[in-house]
Amino acid sequence: MQREEIADRMKSLKFISVVTCILALASPATVARNAQGVPVQEGVNPDALILRDFESRVSEYAKLHKAIEAKMPALKPTDSSGEIEHHQHELAEEIRKARRGAKQGDIFTPPIHVEFHRLITIAMQGQDAARIHTSLRSAEPVRLRLQINADYPANVPLQSTPPSLLMNLPKLPEEIEYRVVGNNLVLCDAHANLVIDFMAGAIP
Amino acid sequence: MTLSPLIHGGQIRRAVFFILVAGLALAPWVLPTQDRPFVSTSTASFQRQVNSAAQVPPSELTLPLKPGSVRFAVIGDSGTGDRKQYEVAEQMAKYHEKFPFDFVIMLGDNLYGGDTPKDYKQKFELPYKMLLDAGVKFYASLGNHDNPNERLYAPFNMSGERYYTFTKGNVGFFALDSTYMKPAQLAWIEQHLQSADSAWKICFFHHALYSDGKFHGPDPDLRARIEPLFVKYGVDIVFSGHDHVYERIKPQHGIYYFVVGSSGELRFRNLKPSAQMIKGFDTDRAFMLVEVVGDELFFQTISRTGKTVDSDTLIKQPAK
Repeated sequence: MQREEIADRMKSLKFISVVTCILALASPATVARNAQGVPVQEGVNPDALILRDFESRVSEYAKLHKAIEAKMPALKPTDSSGEIEHHQHELAEEIRKARRGAKQGDIFTPPIHVEFHRLITIAMQGQDAARIHTSLRSAEPVRLRLQINADYPANVPLQSTPPSLLMNLPKLPEEIEYRVVGNNLVLCDAHANLVIDFMAGAIP
Repeated sequence: MTLSPLIHGGQIRRAVFFILVAGLALAPWVLPTQDRPFVSTSTASFQRQVNSAAQVPPSELTLPLKPGSVRFAVIGDSGTGDRKQYEVAEQMAKYHEKFPFDFVIMLGDNLYGGDTPKDYKQKFELPYKMLLDAGVKFYASLGNHDNPNERLYAPFNMSGERYYTFTKGNVGFFALDSTYMKPAQLAWIEQHLQSADSAWKICFFHHALYSDGKFHGPDPDLRARIEPLFVKYGVDIVFSGHDHVYERIKPQHGIYYFVVGSSGELRFRNLKPSAQMIKGFDTDRAFMLVEVVGDELFFQTISRTGKTVDSDTLIKQPAK
């Protein structure tokens, strides 16, 4: 091999190593993942990221709800029970249309499910545990086959949600609420009387 | 043919014995027991305060009808739409002639089984038509059988809110949604109780903080969260329903608690009296009439058939 050829090859190797170094420096650091497989940024609480994701999904739903409701005649307190029923029915129908493909887990994604399970377990195992269990038993437990986008049946009572449990869960917009149904946690649109999503077996 | 070949003397004796035993066992259910209140034997010191309801003749008013008093009725778990609800409502209308109360507070389960216009009509508008026509206002709270959208029904006077407050004379009323006691509502209660300057503070909502009802009983988690606020800000009276009985509880932390969950539904003989009970009534439906004047609150609890099952005068507890 001639001297010039060797020099050319050395130049190429140098170039490659420089490029590799630049790329290595420019590329992001290896992304850590938490137990639920969610990317975790250094210095950020992974649970907070999951809850932020939940809030953003709920907020998306609330935006949709508001946009649909804004197109309907505003409903103020009225003597006409028919008007209330009609408004609720129309709102539910429009939301259903807009969320035609909605399925269980759209909001309670697997990582959010795990995080909620953790939060509920904390509430149910702490000093309030016995009280919450007694309250749940006295709250007229109901059995219901849950279905996304379905109406909450008018003839099924609402099982009250213990306040200590609510204090441990993320805050929701006005029109959305948590409902306990048996041992499931349901996200309900209270204005449209609609099941948005649910988490099966949420209550230990 | 005589009986002797078929039934021997021993068999007759056994049959008579069986009938007697069965009769004794069934007597409480078969014999007319309605309108029989019972007073807890473990609350003798409180019985002295209780007017002997049995001595009040049927349809007689025990309330003083003082000038300028705040007068109202209390119903809970009323919205069945069945005949018994209508009979309670008729009794209320009869008493309204003698005791012209201005409004009624509703302790939830205002409409059972649905919330179509037909439900509103059969379970509210028709039974209380006489009172509504007489200008009596209804203030509802939501029970676990109520669609939260009932808040928009103007005759329930909820101003579109699931929890709200109003004042009548020297009495502040606070209607709460006990099915969904979210932190925002707890903050609302605290803020409004703190700023209320009415002499009497009365809270009403569906789930009872104290109850000897066997079916549901008290809600301890709700109690742990809201009772400290009631005590801190001087709530005087709490009315609840949920258990389908009538019960007056011994004052707890200076607060008088009532369960009035039998103005439509009834769970017959569902009370299991404990030391906290002053008076209970679980053999027929009931409603309450209340009159507040100065630092006195007079009440009379009346059965579906018009008999007085409890009455008393409560004195406002001094502020702490």
